[in-house]
Amino acid sequence: MRKEDTVKLISAEGFEFVVHKDAAMVSQTIRNMLTSPGSFAETQHGEVTFPEISTTILEKICKYFYWNLEFASGKETEFHIEPELTLELMMAANYLHT
Amino acid sequence: MESQLVRLCIESACKSRESVERWRREKRSLERLPSQLADALLRRLLSRRLLFPSLLEVFKESVEEIDLRGQNSVDAEWIAYVGAFRYLRSLNVSDCHRLTNSALWPITGMTSLKELDLSRCLKVNDASIGHIVSISTLEKLYISETGISANGVKLLSSLKNLSVLDLGGLPVTDLALSSIQVLAKLQYLDLWGSEISNQGVCVLQMLPKLSSLNLAWTNVGNLPNLSSLECLNMSNCTIESVLEGDGDKAPLAKLVMSGATFVDESEAFLHIETSLMSYLDLSNSSLHRFCLLPRLKVLEHLDLSLTMIGDDAIQEIATVGANLRYLNLCKTKVSSAGIVILTGHVPNLEILLLSNTSVDDVALSYISLMHSLKDVDLSNTNIKGIIHHIGSETDPVPSLQALKSLRELKRLNLEQTHVMDAELFSVSGFQELTHLSLRNASLTDISLSYMSSLPKLTNLSIHDAVLTNWGLTSFQPPATLKSMDLRGCWLLTEDAILSFCRIHPQVEVRHEHVHVLPSDQLCSDRPSASRSPLNTTQQSQEDRKIRISPCFIDQRLKYTREELLGLQYSSLTPVTPHHVDIATSKMQLN
Repeated sequence: MRKEDTVKLISAEGFEFVVHKDAAMVSQTIRNMLTSPGSFAETQHGEVTFPEISTTILEKICKYFYWNLEFASGKETEFHIEPELTLELMMAANYLHT
Repeated sequence: MESQLVRLCIESACKSRESVERWRREKRSLERLPSQLADALLRRLLSRRLLFPSLLEVFKESVEEIDLRGQNSVDAEWIAYVGAFRYLRSLNVSDCHRLTNSALWPITGMTSLKELDLSRCLKVNDASIGHIVSISTLEKLYISETGISANGVKLLSSLKNLSVLDLGGLPVTDLALSSIQVLAKLQYLDLWGSEISNQGVCVLQMLPKLSSLNLAWTNVGNLPNLSSLECLNMSNCTIESVLEGDGDKAPLAKLVMSGATFVDESEAFLHIETSLMSYLDLSNSSLHRFCLLPRLKVLEHLDLSLTMIGDDAIQEIATVGANLRYLNLCKTKVSSAGIVILTGHVPNLEILLLSNTSVDDVALSYISLMHSLKDVDLSNTNIKGIIHHIGSETDPVPSLQALKSLRELKRLNLEQTHVMDAELFSVSGFQELTHLSLRNASLTDISLSYMSSLPKLTNLSIHDAVLTNWGLTSFQPPATLKSMDLRGCWLLTEDAILSFCRIHPQVEVRHEHVHVLPSDQLCSDRPSASRSPLNTTQQSQEDRKIRISPCFIDQRLKYTREELLGLQYSSLTPVTPHHVDIATSKMQLN
C-alpha cells in the first residue's frame, strides 16, 4: 500500500489508525476534507485528527469503513456493535456522515 | 436522513431489554446526544416495545419530540417523566385513553413546548385547561374529541402564540368562539361538530391570518368573506352563501363540501374566487347543476361521486381538464358516452374512479387514450372484457387489451364486473401493474395462473372465485408479490394455503381460514444466537415454520417438540395478541 493511498486517522488520545483512502472515504465528512480544493492541512498531510472521538470508537469506525466496502461489493455479513458502544458510535457516525 | 451506521447503532441499541440495560448507564453520552439521534432512538424503542416510564428519564436532556399516540400504557407515571424533558418541543399523546386531568399536571409550565396533541383523550376535561394554558409557548394545540367544554375553550384565549387550534367535536359556542378571536396568529382552526351559528362565525373575520377552516357538521350556512382563507371544509352543512362580503377575495385553493345541502346552487358559489382552486370535493352533495366547474381553471382534484352528475355535464369537466389529476365519478349516472366526451381533454389525469356506474366496454378504448392514468377503478360496472358487434357474424373483440397502451397503469380494479377467465388473459400483459383486484364467482384457476406473468405485481386480490387447492399450489407468484387476498374463495382449504405460504414466505395471504403474515415482517426477538440450540442455517429454516401463524386452536398441533423448544427463547411480540396469548399459556404449561 503506497503512502498516497492511505490516510491517517488520529483519535482523541493520539492513537493513529492508517486506513486505505477508499475506506476512509465511506465517511462523507472525511471525503469532503480530503477532496475539497482548499489547502486544508488534512488534504496535504493525509492526516485527520478527531479530538472528540475516543480510540475505541475510532477503531470501530475504521472496522465499519472496511465492512461497508465489503457490504457494498455484495458480501452480506453482519456488523456487530456492542450495546455499550452504541451511543458514542452513533454520535461519531452522525458527525462523520457515514 | 440517518446514515447507515447510525441506523445500525439504533438497531443494536434496541435489540433487547438486555442491550438497553447495557447502554443505559452511560449518562454523560446520553446528555450529549444530539436531539435528532435521541428522537430516533426513542422512536425505535417505542416501536420495539422496549420503552417504559423510568427509561424516559435518560432522555430528559436530549429529546425534543415525543410521539406516544395510541399507546395504551401511557399514564400519569409516563407524563411525570416527560414533564422533566427540558427541551421538549412536541408532545403527542393523542388516543392515550388512560390519561386523566391529574396525569397531565406535570406538563404545567413546560418552557419549550410548542406542539401538544391531546386528541381523543376522553378523560381530559376543563380541569386540564389550567395545565395547558400555563404553557405560554404553545403554537399548535389539538384537543379534538376530549371532554373539554365551551367554558374551557374560552380560557385558551391566553395562548397568544397559537397558530394551529383543533377544537373538532367540542361543543364550542358562539360565546366561546368570540373569546378566541384575540388569537391573531391563528392560521388553522378546526371547529367541526361545534355549536357555532351563522352569527357566531362572523368573529372569524377578526383573524387576519386564518388560512384553513373546518366547519363540517355545524349549523353554519352563511360564511362571510375571510380574506386569507385558502382551505375550507363545510361538509354536511346546509349552505346558503359562502365568502360573501367586502374586502380582498379569499384565495381559496381547497374546498370540501362533501354531503352538503345547497339552498340555492347559483347563490352558494357566487362569491367564491375560483382562479386558484385546485381541490374540490362535492361528493354526496345535493348539487344538481355544475355551472361552477368551467370557472375552475387550475383544478387538479375533483370528487363528484354520489352526485347527480350525468353525461350531459361531463363537457363542463372537459373544459377544465387540462390540469386534472384525480377524478372521482363513482356512483353517478355517468356512462360510456360521458367518458367519450372526456377523452383528449384530460392529458394529466392519473386517477379515474368509475365504480358503480353504467360504464361498459365501449369506454375502455377511450380510457386507453388518457395516457397519464395510473389508477383505474372499474368495479361494479358493465365491463365484460369483450365487445359483441351487433348484427355481425365475426367473433367478439377483446376490449381490455386496449388498456395495455397505458404505460403507467399501476392499479386496476375489476371487481364485480362481467369479466371472465378468458378476457383476463389481456391483463397478464400489463407490465407496470402493481395492484389488481378481481371479484367474480365465475373466475377459476385459469385467471390466477395468468397473474404469474405480471412482473411488478405486489398486491393481488381475487375474491369469491372458484380457485382450487391445485390451482393455488401450481400458481407461480411474481417475485414482487407481497400480498394476496383470497377471501371468499370457498374451495380453498387451510392446508393448501399454509403450504403455499411455506413455499412463498414473502407473501402475506388473507383468507377466512388463515391470515399469514410474511416472515420478514415479524421481528424475531431471539436475544442471541448463542443461546439458541440451533445453528444459524437451521434457525432460519425453523423461523420460517414457526412464524407462520394461522388460527390453530391448540399450538401443540402446529409445532414439533424441537420447534417448541426453540420457541422458548423467542420473546413474544409476534403477530396478533391472540396468538401471543395462546403461545404464552403453552409456554407456561411446558
